Amino acid sequence: MIQVVIVEDEKLLREAIVRKLDGKGIQPIPFESGKTALEYLKGAPNMPDIIWLDYYLKDINGLDFMYEIKEDSRLSKIPVMVVSNSASAEKVSKMLAVGVQKYLLKADYTLDDLIKAIDQILAQVKKEQEQK
Amino acid sequence: MELSKKIALIVFAGVVLSTIWTVFMVLPAVSALMSVLALTHQFGYYGQVALQALFIYLFSIVPISVIVWVVVRRMVVNPIIHINETAKIIASGNLGKRVDIVSNDEIGQLGASLNAMVGNLASAFQNMANSLGEVTKKEVELRKNFKALAESKAQDEALLTSIGDGVIATDHEGKIIFTNKETEQMLGWKTEEMIGSIWDQVVTAMEERSESLDQVKHTTIQTVLKGGSKAKIDCFLAKRDGTKFPVAVTVSPIINAGVIFGMIILFRDITKEKEVDRMKTEFISLASHQLRTPLSAIRWFAELMLDGTSGQLSSEQHELAQNISLSAERMVELVNSLLNISRIESGRIIIDPQPTDLVQLAQEVIKDVEAKYKEKNQKVVISAHEALPKISIDPRLVRQVYMNLLTNAIKYSPQGTDIIIFISRKGEEIISQVSDSGYGIPKKDQGKLFQKFFRAENIIKVETDGTGLGLYLVKAIIESSKGRIWFSSEEGKGTTFWFSLPVAGTPARKGEVSLDS
Repeated sequence: MIQVVIVEDEKLLREAIVRKLDGKGIQPIPFESGKTALEYLKGAPNMPDIIWLDYYLKDINGLDFMYEIKEDSRLSKIPVMVVSNSASAEKVSKMLAVGVQKYLLKADYTLDDLIKAIDQILAQVKKEQEQK
Repeated sequence: MELSKKIALIVFAGVVLSTIWTVFMVLPAVSALMSVLALTHQFGYYGQVALQALFIYLFSIVPISVIVWVVVRRMVVNPIIHINETAKIIASGNLGKRVDIVSNDEIGQLGASLNAMVGNLASAFQNMANSLGEVTKKEVELRKNFKALAESKAQDEALLTSIGDGVIATDHEGKIIFTNKETEQMLGWKTEEMIGSIWDQVVTAMEERSESLDQVKHTTIQTVLKGGSKAKIDCFLAKRDGTKFPVAVTVSPIINAGVIFGMIILFRDITKEKEVDRMKTEFISLASHQLRTPLSAIRWFAELMLDGTSGQLSSEQHELAQNISLSAERMVELVNSLLNISRIESGRIIIDPQPTDLVQLAQEVIKDVEAKYKEKNQKVVISAHEALPKISIDPRLVRQVYMNLLTNAIKYSPQGTDIIIFISRKGEEIISQVSDSGYGIPKKDQGKLFQKFFRAENIIKVETDGTGLGLYLVKAIIESSKGRIWFSSEEGKGTTFWFSLPVAGTPARKGEVSLDS
């Protein structure tokens, strides 16, 4: 079963995502803040397949979250998909530069679209691993 | 009678009288006297003759001469003395004095002439005095007018000087001939330092992000030289100390009797307006971003209802949830458009030109909207001139233009119609044409087509979905890309839009934001 760590501080959005993933047979592991998610990830016995990350969190922003992930060799391999309310060119290029797979604008996509995006990323990652 | 004749007559009468008197009265009397006095013996013959001559002289010549003298004096000398004295009185200034004329002779005529002359002189003096009075009156009037003029001039100057915006007037060469107090305060130069200088040596105008003042110079010089209508420019001015501030400038030619003799530059500090504008843009941006969170929630929960995760809906419930979902989607589009407009309007949009094949770009857009036109059983046909050059434009911005025009054509055309795209080169421009055989734009609405939030009356009824921001955004993009946009439309027959992009390309701009972010 695919595991997705969800970092989204908006309760309702988190709830919608969890419901959708559950319905699709994907296991959601939701967090309401960046720090709790990082704490979990650092101590988790198994790594999730992907991280669903909001950029603007109350305690930390997406870029700092990425820096923390990239510092940990175990976590740095997890693909990250940013789903945010704001996607200025500067932010997007910075996030892609630190290793984010996709940067999507929240309101522009349905949950179905976002699950398709997860599938694409996972397929891509799998393809890259096979090539290695 | 003439005086000479009179005198001749008097002398003649004197001679006749004296002869008669002498012959008949004096000679006998002298003879008698001589006899009576018996003086003959004593004096001899010559003595007697001498004595007789003496008596004749005494009794005849002297009295007659006296009489003649008295007569001549009365007739000639007295009147001349009178005239002389009268002339002296007149000379002393009494122009009312006249000679008493008693005779008709030359002296009388002299007196009359003198009287006439004095009369003329008096009336001439009177006239002169009258004229002098008028001149004095006029002078008083003139002085009054002059004072009024000076006051009015001072008032005008005070008026100009007190204008709350900067005012600089120049002659036809651009030399400053007038500045006001506000100019001094705004630029940090003293009036006496500015007067006589060429204006752009004192007023350094530039674009916000560059040092260039070419545009400003060009426009103002054109205005002055060609006498065209006034020019309005928003730019930045540098103070004496080098600090920049934003201004709205109006440059107008000064025209008198058809001749341009200078220009007047009016400038207003718009720091506050710029600040308010920036705050407005920031507010829209912030509000729009904030709106996205609840919109996503609405959209996602409607989706969850529709996908049956929480149990199957009745067909009516499904329809209602569908409406919620569509409305949320529309609102997301509206928010995106608002954000794009606030970005374009803020002038902070990034323009990142890349060599672009417009035909290829248009084909990509056609592919993106394939589902939309196929759903309506429409066809999109693209054709182009051969060997069109790649031009340096921002593909992300121009893509939005094709996208909006094409989406409109699909949306506002009935089922089964064709949409034609034609890309061609005309001189130094690449022209893109998007034609449909759709509902068209009513004549009365055509003037407002590019206005923000405007939607034509006929299509509001046909198609409720739409923000009225698409064409506004298209025009803003085209204009910031140095192109033009125009259209032709007939209600019920269709619409064609054309937009041009310069072959020379769009200059890059280091902005801060991009579309759709």
